[in-house]
Amino acid sequence: MGAGRVHEQVTVQESSNRSVPAAGSDAGAAAAAPGSGGPSASRASRVLRSSLLRLAGRRLLTAIPVVWGVTFLTFAVLNLLPGDAAQALLGADATPQEVAQLRVELHLNEPFLTRYGHWLGSAVTGHLGSSLGSGQLVTTILAQRLPVTFELIGYAFVISLVIAIPVATVAARRPGGVFDSVTTFITLIGLSIAPYILALLLILLFSVDLALFPALGWTPLSGGLGANLRSLTLPALSLGFPIGCFYTRLLRADVIEQLGEDYVVTAVAKGLPSWRVLVRHAVPNSMFGLITVVALNVGTLLGGTVIVEQIFGLPGVGQELFQAIQTRDFPVLEGIVAVFAVVVVVIGLLADLLYAVLDPRIRYDNPGQ
Amino acid sequence: MTAPTPALPAPAMAPAPTSVLEVRDLSVRYRPRGRVVHAVDSLSYSVPAGRTVAIIGESGSGKTASSRAIMGLLPRSAQVSGSAVLNGTELIGLGPKELRRHRGHDVAMIFQDPARSLNPTMRVGPQIAEAIRAHRPVGRAAARERVIELFRLVRLSAPEQRYSEYPHQFSGGMRQRVMIAMALSCSPRLLIADEATTALDVTTQAQIMRLLTGLQAQLGMAILMISHDLGLAASFADDVVVMYAGRAVERAPARELFGNVRMPYTSALLGAVPRLDRAAHTPLPVVGGRPPDLSAPPAGCPFAARCPRAAERCERERPELAEDEPGHAYACWYPLAGSAQAASEQPASAAAAAASASASEEER
Amino acid sequence: MTIPVNDALSVPGGLGAAGPAAAGAVRGRGRLRQSLSLWIPAGLLIVLIAACFLWPLVGNVPSPVGGSVLNSSLPIGSPGHLLGTDADGNDIFSRLLYGGRVSLEVGAATQLIGIALGGLIGMIAGFSRGLLAAALMRVLDVLIAFPSLVLALAIAEGLGPGELHVIWALSFYSVPAFARLARAGTLKLRDQNFMLAATLSGTRRWRIVLLHLAPNLLPQLLTFALLGAGVAIIQEGALSFLSLGVPPPGASWGNMIASGEQTMSVQPALVIIPCLALLITVATLNLLGDALRARWSAR
Repeated sequence: MGAGRVHEQVTVQESSNRSVPAAGSDAGAAAAAPGSGGPSASRASRVLRSSLLRLAGRRLLTAIPVVWGVTFLTFAVLNLLPGDAAQALLGADATPQEVAQLRVELHLNEPFLTRYGHWLGSAVTGHLGSSLGSGQLVTTILAQRLPVTFELIGYAFVISLVIAIPVATVAARRPGGVFDSVTTFITLIGLSIAPYILALLLILLFSVDLALFPALGWTPLSGGLGANLRSLTLPALSLGFPIGCFYTRLLRADVIEQLGEDYVVTAVAKGLPSWRVLVRHAVPNSMFGLITVVALNVGTLLGGTVIVEQIFGLPGVGQELFQAIQTRDFPVLEGIVAVFAVVVVVIGLLADLLYAVLDPRIRYDNPGQ
Repeated sequence: MTAPTPALPAPAMAPAPTSVLEVRDLSVRYRPRGRVVHAVDSLSYSVPAGRTVAIIGESGSGKTASSRAIMGLLPRSAQVSGSAVLNGTELIGLGPKELRRHRGHDVAMIFQDPARSLNPTMRVGPQIAEAIRAHRPVGRAAARERVIELFRLVRLSAPEQRYSEYPHQFSGGMRQRVMIAMALSCSPRLLIADEATTALDVTTQAQIMRLLTGLQAQLGMAILMISHDLGLAASFADDVVVMYAGRAVERAPARELFGNVRMPYTSALLGAVPRLDRAAHTPLPVVGGRPPDLSAPPAGCPFAARCPRAAERCERERPELAEDEPGHAYACWYPLAGSAQAASEQPASAAAAAASASASEEER
Repeated sequence: MTIPVNDALSVPGGLGAAGPAAAGAVRGRGRLRQSLSLWIPAGLLIVLIAACFLWPLVGNVPSPVGGSVLNSSLPIGSPGHLLGTDADGNDIFSRLLYGGRVSLEVGAATQLIGIALGGLIGMIAGFSRGLLAAALMRVLDVLIAFPSLVLALAIAEGLGPGELHVIWALSFYSVPAFARLARAGTLKLRDQNFMLAATLSGTRRWRIVLLHLAPNLLPQLLTFALLGAGVAIIQEGALSFLSLGVPPPGASWGNMIASGEQTMSVQPALVIIPCLALLITVATLNLLGDALRARWSAR
C-alpha cells in the first residue's frame, strides 16, 4: 500500500486516462505514428515491451526500499516492545536464569542491529530462519499457511468484484433512480460493517440458525473443491462484502463521470444501444480508479485476515501472525511481514502493468511524462 | 480481391429540392432550481437535400442545444418541444429505440473536439465498425472492409494500418477525418457538424471543410454546419441562420445575407471578422455588453441592450422573424438597408444614448 | 474527478474515495435530499454522543461493572435491565453506553492527534521542497504500507491493554494517513494564486501555513477525520476483541463482542447488540463524512 506508489500512480493517472487525454499526446502520436506502411505492428510491440519493461523495472527499484523498510520497522517495533520471546515461551513461572539461558540460546542478547543484520543476510538468500517457539522453519510455516490466506483473499476479492461491477454499472445508468438510491444506501451501510462484525453476524445467521456453512475450520482442496469453498465462503464474504460496497461506490462515481464524457455522446450519436455504450465504452474507461484502489487495499485486506482467520479458525498466516506478535517470535513475524510487503508491492506492480494494458496511451507515450 | 464489400444503398441524387430536415418552432427549456432557461426559442429552418445550412451564433446562442435536441442528445432535464422532421419522420418525442435507428444511420453528427470524442482505450477501426454493425447486419470482416474504404474516402493515409490504431496516435486533423468517416459510415442523408473545425488550426480547418464539401458533392448529403465563424459560413454555406439568445434573428441564403445584411447583430458579427483589407492596427470593432440572461428574457428585442440602432420600440416589443423579402427573414424593427456598412437611418432618441452606453461597456 | 487524494486512503469501514453523490446537479428535490443526508447523520451522531456521555450522568443507569452473578444472563426487557445482563451479571445497556464512550473517545482522539501531528507534518512536507520532504514522505510511506492492524496489534501488545494504549497504537496509522493527505492537499494548493500572493507580500512562512494553508486544508481533513474515526472505532473494536484493548471487566464494544462470542449460539443478543452499536456508529460517521464531502466538493 505504498504511499509513494500512490503519488506515482497519481501522476501516471493524470497523464493517462481520467477523462482528459493529455494534449501533449498529439506530439507523442506524431512521434509514434508510423506514417509509412512499414512493419509497424512489430515496431509497436517492441515499443510496448520496452516501455512496459521500463515501467516494471522502475517499479521494482522503488519497491525494494519499501520492502526493506517494512522489515526493518517491524524489527524495530518488535524490539522496542517490552518482553521478549524467551519470556513469552517460558511463561511467568520461569526463573530469571532460565530466561537468561534461553535468551543466549536464541541469540536474543545480541545487539539489535546484529540480529537484524543476520536475519536480513539470510533472508535475501531465502533462508528465513526458524520459529523461536516451535523451531519449525519459517519457510515451512509460510508454505503451509500462505495458501489458505491467499485463497481467502482471492475469494474475497472475487466476491467484491462480483458485487461492485454489476451494481455500479446499473446504478450509474440512472443516478438518483430507484436502483441507485437503494443500492447507495445499502452500500453505505455495507462498507461501515467491519469484517469481524459481519463475520459474527454471518455465523449467527448461517451456521447457527441455518446451518448452511461451517462456522469453524478449513477444508483443504484435498477434501473436495465444494467443501473447500464452503468452508471459506463465510470468511470470504465477511472480508469481501464491505470492500465490495466500497468498490461499488467508487466505480459508480467513475462510471457516472465517464458517462458525461464526449466520447460517450459520440457513441450515443452513432446509434448504439445504451447497454453497449455503458458496458463497452464507459465501464472499461472507469476501471482505472478501481485498479488503483484495489492495489492500495491489499494491505488492509491482509490485515483483515488476522481477525477473520481467528474467528473462523482458519489455519492461515493471519492467525500465525497474531501468535507471533504475542510470543515475540521475530523470525516468524519478519517472515510473514516480509511476505506481506512483497505481496503489496507485486500487486502494485500488477496494477501498473494493468494500466498499461488497458490504456494504450501509457504504452505508446513516453513514460517520462 | 476478397468478397465484395456490402452494398450500401447509394443515396438518391434527387434533383427536386426536398428538405432533408424541417425544423419548426423548436424550443428547448431547462429548469435548474426552479427557474426556466429558454436555451432555444421557436427556432425554424429547413435543410434542403444536398445543400449546406450554417447556423451561426455566439456561445450561449442555443445553436448547439438545438442540434443536440434534434439528435436527442440532450440530458433528461431538458424539455424539448416543437418539430424536427427528418426525411418525413418526426424526431422530437421519438422513443429511444426508434431514435437509435435514425442516429448514425439517417443523421450523423461530428463534434468539436475529436480528441475527446473518441474512446481513448479502443482502437479506431472497431469504433467505426461498431457504428456500422449497429445498423446493418454485416459481419466483422465486411465491416472492416467498409471502414478501410471509408478511411480512403476521407483521405487518410495507410488506411489498413489506421484501422488498428488508437485515437491518440492521430493528429487533430486526422482525428476529425476519423470522426467524419464514422459519421459517414451508413451514408446518412444529413450530417450535422457541430463546431467541427473550431479546434483545428486554420490550414487544417480549410482542408476539412474542403473534404466535407467534396464528400457532400460525392454523396449528395446535406450538411448542417454549426459555428460561430461567419467567415466559414460565408465560404461554405448555401443558407445561413443567425441565432441570438436562443432565437433565429436572421435567415437567408449566404450570398444574400452577406451582401445585404439586415439585422444589426449580424452586421456587428461581420464587422468583428478580422479583415486583410483594413489598415494594420485597426482596432476590431467589438460589440459591447453581454447576451441576455436566458432565464429572464427581456420583453423586447434581446439584442436591444447592445444594439447601436436600438430605439424605444425595440425595448418594448419583440420583433418576430419575418420574411420581408423573398428568402430573407429577419427579426428587427429597424433593419439595415443596403450594404453591411450602412449605418444611416439612425432612429432618434435612445439610440444615441444606447450607442454611447454600449461603446463604453467594452467587454473585458 | 479530483486527484485521488482521498482515494489514496481506501480503508474498508471508511469511505475513502467514493466521490460526491452523483455528478448530477443539485436540483430542488436534490437539495432537500442533500440537506437531509447531512443533518440526519449529524443529528444521529449528536444523539449517540449525548447518550454515551450524558445519559449515565443524568439517567438511572446501573454500573457497567461489578454485577452480581445472581443476575447473570437476564434477557432483554428484564426489570431494571433494559437490554438484559451478560454472563457476569453486568447490565448490557450500561455497558453499551460506557463502551460507546470508549469507542467515541478513541475515534476522536486518534483523529485529533492525526490532524494535529499528521496535518502539520504533511503541510511541512508539502511546503518545503528538497530532501527533507522526500525523506519524510518515504518514512511515512513505509508506515502506511504496513497493514495498519498489524502495527496496532504489535504496539498494543507491547504496551499492554488499556484505552490510552489503543489510542497510541491507532495513532501510528492516523498520523501518516493525515500527513499524506495534508501533503497532497498542500501540493495542490501551493501553487494557487492566493498562496503566491501571500508569499509575495512578504508574509512569513509559518503565518502562511497557519493562516492561509491550514484553513483551506481543513475541510478535507475534517471529512477524512470523520471517516477515519469510523475506521479507528472499528479497529478499537478489533483490538478489544483480541483482548488487546480495554481489559475486562471494563466495557468496550469489542470485548463485549468477544465475551458474547463464547455463548453466541445460546444468547445471540450479547453479540448482536454491540455489533449493531458499532455498525450504526460507523455508518453514521461514514454517512456524515460522505455528505460533508459532497457538500464541500460541490463548491
